[in-house]
Amino acid sequence: MDATLKLWAVILIVGALNYLSRLSFIALFARRQVPPLLGRAFRYVPAAMLTALIVPMVVTLPAGAVGPALPKIVAALVAGCVAFATHSQVKTLGCGMVTLWALQALAQRFG
Amino acid sequence: MRRFASDRDFRAGFTAMLPVCIGTVPFGLVCGVGAAAAGASALGALGLSAIVFSGAAQILAVQLLAAGSPLAVIVLTCFVAGLRFLIYSAAMAPYLRPLPPRWQKGLAFLLTDQAFAASVRRFDAGGDPRAGGLFFLGGGFALWSSWQLTNLAGYFVGNLIPAAWSLEFAVPLCFIALVAPHFRSYPTITAALVSAFAVIAFAGLPMKLNLIVAGLTGIVAGTLADFARERWMPR
Repeated sequence: MDATLKLWAVILIVGALNYLSRLSFIALFARRQVPPLLGRAFRYVPAAMLTALIVPMVVTLPAGAVGPALPKIVAALVAGCVAFATHSQVKTLGCGMVTLWALQALAQRFG
Repeated sequence: MRRFASDRDFRAGFTAMLPVCIGTVPFGLVCGVGAAAAGASALGALGLSAIVFSGAAQILAVQLLAAGSPLAVIVLTCFVAGLRFLIYSAAMAPYLRPLPPRWQKGLAFLLTDQAFAASVRRFDAGGDPRAGGLFFLGGGFALWSSWQLTNLAGYFVGNLIPAAWSLEFAVPLCFIALVAPHFRSYPTITAALVSAFAVIAFAGLPMKLNLIVAGLTGIVAGTLADFARERWMPR
């Protein structure tokens, strides 16, 4: 498939599906009751999905590369504590990046 | 838009979202860089950020496009990653119900992780639903506009950012900021831990299918832990 055509197919289909997910309970199923089991499962979608997105970006996946990934893992844990305590996106971002830079500088000097 | 720009609640929403916009600047830059790396045209990159308007879906889409994955896999992965919008939609629905359908359809487009987190608090404070809607609209408009600017900036000048800054690490940090505050109940923590374990255990699967497996496994684990808590740990 032509690359431009494929990109626009992705934009339009993913855009439409995302919009339908966003619209779902606001308009489409507004009058319908969510089945209890589904409602219960729903509560865990953000935690499960966001974690699945986060972990591969923090842990360098081809296993055995624990050394280079360590600063990112520590920085992610620091950021997690800051986010838990402050609920602030800017503070989480700032503390996480500064921790990563500090650890990378240390690793370069002593590693 | 000019009609709204002078509205007090719209402006309050717009202003309240500005710190969040600053927090998403690095994420937007990374998305723009990713679109350029995947060989998208400037119009394609803008279409992606303007229409899809979801950093997680955009990152996954450009990575899978660059890897030459089939269209069906890209669509499925982005859709599953976007399932969390169902939750936000369900949580926002009661607040938007008093508004006319036209408003609901417009505001739904602006529903994002950040807009949801910022607006629920405001809606909980009560008051006139139209004022809450205008607050949400103002915030969503601020976020959507800044998202287009940072994506375009990343597309055109992102390659000037030194690799030593590890800017791409801002992406997991944005998600950590969203997910960590929820780690207050055992089922939620179970869902996250099982998902983290599964995404590594199934890392060998092609085309990032481990994301879908891990997400679904985590949801099932969280739900089971929820039943278990109810059964053995009555309040």
